[in-house]
Amino acid sequence: MATRVKARSELIPYLVFIIYVITSFGGAVWLEVPSTGTKCVSEDIKQNVVVIADFSVVNDDSNPHNTFNIAARVTSPYGNNLYHQENVTHGQFAFTTTEAGNYLACFWIDESHKATTGVSVSLDWRTGIAAKDWESVARKEKLEGVELELRKLEGAIDAIHQNLIYLKSREADMREVSEITNGRVAWYSIMSIGVCIAVSVMQVFHLKRYFRKKKLI
Amino acid sequence: MVEQIAVVAVIVMVLSEIMGGVVGLRIMLEKQECLSHKADHGATVRASFVVVKVHGWRQSMSSGADLVVTGPSGEQIRDFRDKTSEMFEFVANKEGVYRFCFTNKSPFYETIDFDVHSSYFFHFDQEHAKDEHFKPLLESIAKLRDALYNIQYEQHWLGAQTSRQAIVNEKMGKRAIYKAVFESAALVSASGLQVYLLRRLFNRRLEMSGF
Repeated sequence: MATRVKARSELIPYLVFIIYVITSFGGAVWLEVPSTGTKCVSEDIKQNVVVIADFSVVNDDSNPHNTFNIAARVTSPYGNNLYHQENVTHGQFAFTTTEAGNYLACFWIDESHKATTGVSVSLDWRTGIAAKDWESVARKEKLEGVELELRKLEGAIDAIHQNLIYLKSREADMREVSEITNGRVAWYSIMSIGVCIAVSVMQVFHLKRYFRKKKLI
Repeated sequence: MVEQIAVVAVIVMVLSEIMGGVVGLRIMLEKQECLSHKADHGATVRASFVVVKVHGWRQSMSSGADLVVTGPSGEQIRDFRDKTSEMFEFVANKEGVYRFCFTNKSPFYETIDFDVHSSYFFHFDQEHAKDEHFKPLLESIAKLRDALYNIQYEQHWLGAQTSRQAIVNEKMGKRAIYKAVFESAALVSASGLQVYLLRRLFNRRLEMSGF
């Protein structure tokens, strides 16, 4: 009993250290926000998709004392403001898309800071299945360990399947446009030749009439 | 034993949670834009980019972007010039921040779809085969999860390529119509110009010879 308790308490700080190390490396991307102007990223998202994002200013080693505050804005494809926050160093936002289209997230340095250099912003942007709250699902359905992992895999596979169906429909649309264009190009070539022939025939008749009128023929 | 399994399960869950982020973003490239990604030692970093749209009419000429990937200490890892789409991977030998810098040589704005994703279990067999802490079942689940994330990453690239092709197709359709209209108008006006010039020539000749 005593040795088992000791082994567990030895393992816990190791575990905490691992979690700390791992969580400091995320699946995030760092953007470089310029000193003047905005930096925008966008993504084409379908309807009814959950989006969760986390952004924070990264402390650069080169200037440790200059931490600028940034402002962030997220707009929907039709221009509605979904999130707007000024003068912050970190923040997060979450929304469910109501329309399909290009969602834009823009960052800029606050005007109050007269910035001379840019600043790095870490953005962790998750859509769809990556944004799912597995903790609440686990609590609600009382899953844990291997069962929860397999449930996550099932979710991922379902997302892949939905994505594939979506890609298939887009390919079908594209194919239709392609075939219509193909047909149109054929018709337009024939029309062009037809116009050319008709115009030259008209030309010949007109000139013949003209020469006859002027008694040259 | 049970506690050890529970601890290992938590570790694997946390690991697989963090590795989940497949970041697919579109950026507007004017002249040069840089993105960074923090990678762990030994991770396989997979990245891809597709030039989805060129905001100008000269898409066929000089389209594409340059990409230079540099490591944490500034060493160059990859260099691509004038590519419209590329998919590549490399192993991060050092942990740190890897920079992906895009350069646009054409005078128009370009929209680039960029995706980067770190995978830890690609070389799992060599690295952790000796580690007895990880139970085989959880290990297999983690590998499976990694493979699924790879599929999602490739699907994202395919989606970006499809977007690009859809835009090219639409432009082609519009161009076919413009070409047809312009060509007919040009033919008709050339022929009219011909008739006018001939009439003028013969009128002058007739006037000169006194008719």
